[in-house]
Amino acid sequence: MELLKVKNLKKIFPKHKVAAVDGVDISISKGEIYGLVGESGCGKSTIARAILRLIEVQEGSVLYKEQDLLKMPYRKMRAFRKSLQMIFQDPHTSLDPRVKIGEIIEEVFIIHDNLSQQERRNKTLETLEMVGLGEAYLGRLPSELSGGERQRVGIARALATDPEFIICDEPVSSLDISVQAQILNLLMDLQKRKNLTYLFISHDLGVVGSICDRVSVMRKGRFVETAPCEEIFASPKHEYTKTLLNASRLHFR
Amino acid sequence: MLKIEGLRVKYGADEVVRGVDLAVKKGECVGLVGESGCGKTTVGLSAARLIDARKGKIVSGKILFEGRDILEFDAEGLRKLRGRRISYVFQEPFSSLNPVFTVHEQLKEALREKGKAQEAISEILKSVGLEKISGKKNIYPHELSGGMQQRVMIAMAIASRPDLVILDEPTTALDVSVQNQILELIAELKEKMNLSILFISHDLRIVFSMADRINVMYAGRIVESGPKKDIVSQPRHPYTKGLIGSIPSLKNRKKRFEAIEGKTPLFSDLPKGCKFYPRCKFRIEKCEDEEPAIENISGDHFARCVRAKELV
Repeated sequence: MELLKVKNLKKIFPKHKVAAVDGVDISISKGEIYGLVGESGCGKSTIARAILRLIEVQEGSVLYKEQDLLKMPYRKMRAFRKSLQMIFQDPHTSLDPRVKIGEIIEEVFIIHDNLSQQERRNKTLETLEMVGLGEAYLGRLPSELSGGERQRVGIARALATDPEFIICDEPVSSLDISVQAQILNLLMDLQKRKNLTYLFISHDLGVVGSICDRVSVMRKGRFVETAPCEEIFASPKHEYTKTLLNASRLHFR
Repeated sequence: MLKIEGLRVKYGADEVVRGVDLAVKKGECVGLVGESGCGKTTVGLSAARLIDARKGKIVSGKILFEGRDILEFDAEGLRKLRGRRISYVFQEPFSSLNPVFTVHEQLKEALREKGKAQEAISEILKSVGLEKISGKKNIYPHELSGGMQQRVMIAMAIASRPDLVILDEPTTALDVSVQNQILELIAELKEKMNLSILFISHDLRIVFSMADRINVMYAGRIVESGPKKDIVSQPRHPYTKGLIGSIPSLKNRKKRFEAIEGKTPLFSDLPKGCKFYPRCKFRIEKCEDEEPAIENISGDHFARCVRAKELV
């Protein structure tokens, strides 16, 4: 079943004359991990933000379960936001430094659900446990956590609304490679357990290749190649894909 | 070229380098790899005597540069050493460059001889692949991309024709494709100038592609060291195995990584025995009580693990 379909998406930022995203099509099935790979500034994060309507685009449509998110009235979109979530790149700047971890998660339940205080507390703890953080973390501040732990909080916050679809925007690129492996394991486990669908954005083709089913390679606002992961690694068609592949240093294993 | 013996460094009460031995030969690239907070940067900074005296202190050990212990150098001796014989490239190029001076001005400062500076600067900029700006005198760091800024840092590092360059995570802040270009540049300069390099990184993939010898560091000590081929094909320490298992691989697509569970211990709260013991998949009872000594495995290959010889 097709969960998300992006058609001819186009975004031009007013100050720049070139299109940041220049006519992009994506189709993601339920339960799929779809990779989006390209260098800084190629437009991949712009796609992510456009899908969630964090920015407005000039052209195109984003069909989620066959309903166009871009044309949806605000009130209706708000209900949809529960099932579409995002995990951000930098766990240092995406968490409010003055708010305790328990409150960061509990806030999601206050906004989206009508629960008693006790129910909220239980669900907060349950959500933190899902990402491998226990009760001890409830009262801590983001600054007391390591980069990996902060990213787990970011994942917990996304999971709190019980979403179907999560956009992971460079979720591991600011982490040490050993922590990166832990977080990728967690994301893969959660995907299987909850049958989640991911749009996984990264500049590292190695990371994308090890967890994604299909991948689009993006350059200067356009897709240069889209294919199942096995195919792209076995026989990359585009020169640019070959460059990225070479840069990922996959030949050591 | 560089020989570090029994180096111990303290930040306040915490000993973050707990007896490190390491050597870099002329023309050799030696990798130092480990997670954030293992003490690898402190080793690099110590090798250039750059530890901030208000925060940290080298407690004991020797740092021999061409046979002379630089820990005994006075300010004048260090001035002749740093930036001339030993250069340092830091992780974040933007915060290492001075935003109010032009690239030319900053490069000029790094030159050993100031005569014919203009020609020398153009020459150096060309050698790091910055032909485009070699003729322009009024370029400021913010006008350059991250990759170009790191090229400028490398240009400054080699401007004095040093013998030893310490590279501390030189590509970590960059995109993978730019990373590759910078690494190729470093390899090319190393050959051309016969540089000795100490290459510090958390990413084994990068260290594998650059280094002749590799040292793996954990909780302030070297836990495994050896020629690259031994470390790649026959890692003996469970920590090294875990780092290798954390590298994305196409062979194990869609499978869980053989990652290292848990996190690095705090220096204020190190375990009593083997420091890796709480996270180790291969631990046995005696690991809890005693930190093992580093032992020879074969040839030039050493590991600090009681089970190193059976873990093939």
